[in-house]
Amino acid sequence: MTEVSKSFGATEVVADLSFDLGPGEILGFLGPNGAGKTTTMRMILDIIRPDSGSISVFGKPPGVEHQGRTGYLPEDRGLYRDVPVIDTLAYFGALRGLPTKQAHDRAAELLTDVGLGDSLTKKGAELSRGMHQKAQLVATIINEPDLLIVDEPFQGLDPVNATMLKNLLVEQKERGAAVIMSTHDMEDAQVLCDRILLIDKGRRLLYGRVSDVRNAFSDGAVEVLGRDLPIETERLPSASHATSYDGSVRYLLRDGRTAQDLFRELAETPAVVERFAVEAPNLNEIFVRSVAGDERAKQVA
Amino acid sequence: MNREFLRLVFLVARRDYLRTVRRRAFVAGTLLLPLGMGLIFAISSVSSMSLGEASGPIIVVNESAVPLAVDPALTPDVAVVDRATADQRLADKSISSYYVVPAEWPGKPTVLFVEPTSISGERPNLAFARRAGDQAEIDLLLRISIVRAAGVPDAVLAQLMAPVTYESASGGGETSEAQIIGAYIVPYAFTLIFMLSIFITSGYLLQSVTEEKENRVVEILLSSIPALPLMAGKVLGLGAAGLTQVAIWVGTALVALPLINQQFSLDLNISPITLILAVLFFALGYMSYGAIYAAIGALSPGAREAQQYASFFGVIAVIPVVLLPFFLTDTNNLLVIALCLLPLTAPASMLAVLAISPTTPWLLVLASLLSQTAFTALAVVVTSRIFRATLLLYGVRPSLKRIAGAVFARA
Repeated sequence: MTEVSKSFGATEVVADLSFDLGPGEILGFLGPNGAGKTTTMRMILDIIRPDSGSISVFGKPPGVEHQGRTGYLPEDRGLYRDVPVIDTLAYFGALRGLPTKQAHDRAAELLTDVGLGDSLTKKGAELSRGMHQKAQLVATIINEPDLLIVDEPFQGLDPVNATMLKNLLVEQKERGAAVIMSTHDMEDAQVLCDRILLIDKGRRLLYGRVSDVRNAFSDGAVEVLGRDLPIETERLPSASHATSYDGSVRYLLRDGRTAQDLFRELAETPAVVERFAVEAPNLNEIFVRSVAGDERAKQVA
Repeated sequence: MNREFLRLVFLVARRDYLRTVRRRAFVAGTLLLPLGMGLIFAISSVSSMSLGEASGPIIVVNESAVPLAVDPALTPDVAVVDRATADQRLADKSISSYYVVPAEWPGKPTVLFVEPTSISGERPNLAFARRAGDQAEIDLLLRISIVRAAGVPDAVLAQLMAPVTYESASGGGETSEAQIIGAYIVPYAFTLIFMLSIFITSGYLLQSVTEEKENRVVEILLSSIPALPLMAGKVLGLGAAGLTQVAIWVGTALVALPLINQQFSLDLNISPITLILAVLFFALGYMSYGAIYAAIGALSPGAREAQQYASFFGVIAVIPVVLLPFFLTDTNNLLVIALCLLPLTAPASMLAVLAISPTTPWLLVLASLLSQTAFTALAVVVTSRIFRATLLLYGVRPSLKRIAGAVFARA
């Protein structure tokens, strides 16, 4: 996706957005509500068209020829209320290019795999929320897509079902599928994703490998375990703030100072350092800081 | 149009067709007309049987000075007897009532009706209908008797009573009362049945779109299939369901027409060419209204609003039905021709013209077909654009600017 923009009326929903994604990779698509994530996903799927910029899917513009190679789990999801779930899934599979019989068999196989083997003939209205969600994820992968786009896939699921569906996504990645996963759960993003893309008001704030992004923000804090560790930051010019708890002290670094500067300053004090760990902030912290305008975000934008 | 496009259209059409024809509401709606017709026949047959059983000869007692001249041709059911015989037959229940022409008749034009108890054991409506029939025949008997008593020869009397036949000045042959009734009933019934089908079928399309929008299936569909084949598949699949319904109704009508003609002494008929053209106009009418209804479904925040907007177009469509008297007067009327050419009024107008015209007005048919085909093609393309741009707006009413933007956007 290269410099793509999209407006609805006077509202610019996506602005100059660029990113790419390769096979066997999961991209965590992050951003506050209304950031433009769903619009971006719809443009990749050719449901709506961008105003400017270009999108390339499998080397070509989005279009009907890709719809058999993609799978989409929208945030607003549903099934036909009065149709057996197996028939609904077989229909979706057939639309994505599977022969009718094969679509039916594959739907039955996948539904059984996710524990819905005894609910094949239940109608959409008869399924619980968790069952609904599992059936919908099955609908997304029924055609073994090369590109999988999932919007908040684990929202509202209990831990057991969430773990089952996470494993299903990882299986897709290992099979070689490229996955775009929108989520508000930073823990999921940190564990499952290879790369993250954080957008706000349609603009890219962060983009890169999870480890690179965390490292870019890692100069924020250092956790030190030891004895006689100074709490007063006057003796440690690199630290702006120190908090002591459970025998360890957490130092916040001043802008422009590094963990190595702090280590040298500590060595000049009577403190005995037993463990010195650069604390990489989790994605949740990075998300909040980036949206609030943290300058470090620019390093990995 | 490539193979993949056709495959997708076929998949959507087949699914929507099967889903619709399996619905209880569709089955009930489709069978309602044949069942209704059957019911009318059953009631009509039972009524006539009841009337037949109850009627028998009309017994008349003449106490006046004028001899009553029973004519086997004009008053075949009347039997004139004396009072004692009439009372005897009433007592032994071989008749349920009789009439007395009193001595003061015809000075006082009153006839007495004698029955033991008032319409006992007989349904009031049947008794009323039977009595009306009896009295018409007695009226005739009394008039003939007065004329005969005045010395008018039988030959003149025969001429006087003979029904007049009216013939068409254009040489079209005899026009019976049955044909005249048929000329009114057929256009009304024909137009109404086909228009009803168009709206029922378009209603299925509206329902299908709003349902998929409300249950959020539409986004999965639009990520699997482009808007145009999705729209086209829906229009064709539900149109086929509508045609199935029309085929059953028309089939029933064709089977029932000879029976109706026999039962009610009518002369109703529809020519095969009229039927074929009617199906064609049905298909085009359905596709025009179906496309409009699909756009309404995509634009409306919910099913209720969609129904309200759709009813506006329903009013436009029935304009020709309201103006049917103009059609019956002259199908070459300028207003009639204009209604036949305007796309939204053309389906009903052409159905009416086809049912009324003794010969097929081919030039008008062709012009109307062209106008409707062009409009239908435009409506389907415009609707698929609106469909794509607005279908994913849940609970939001899109602005006119946005709709216009979608319609005129490059494909």
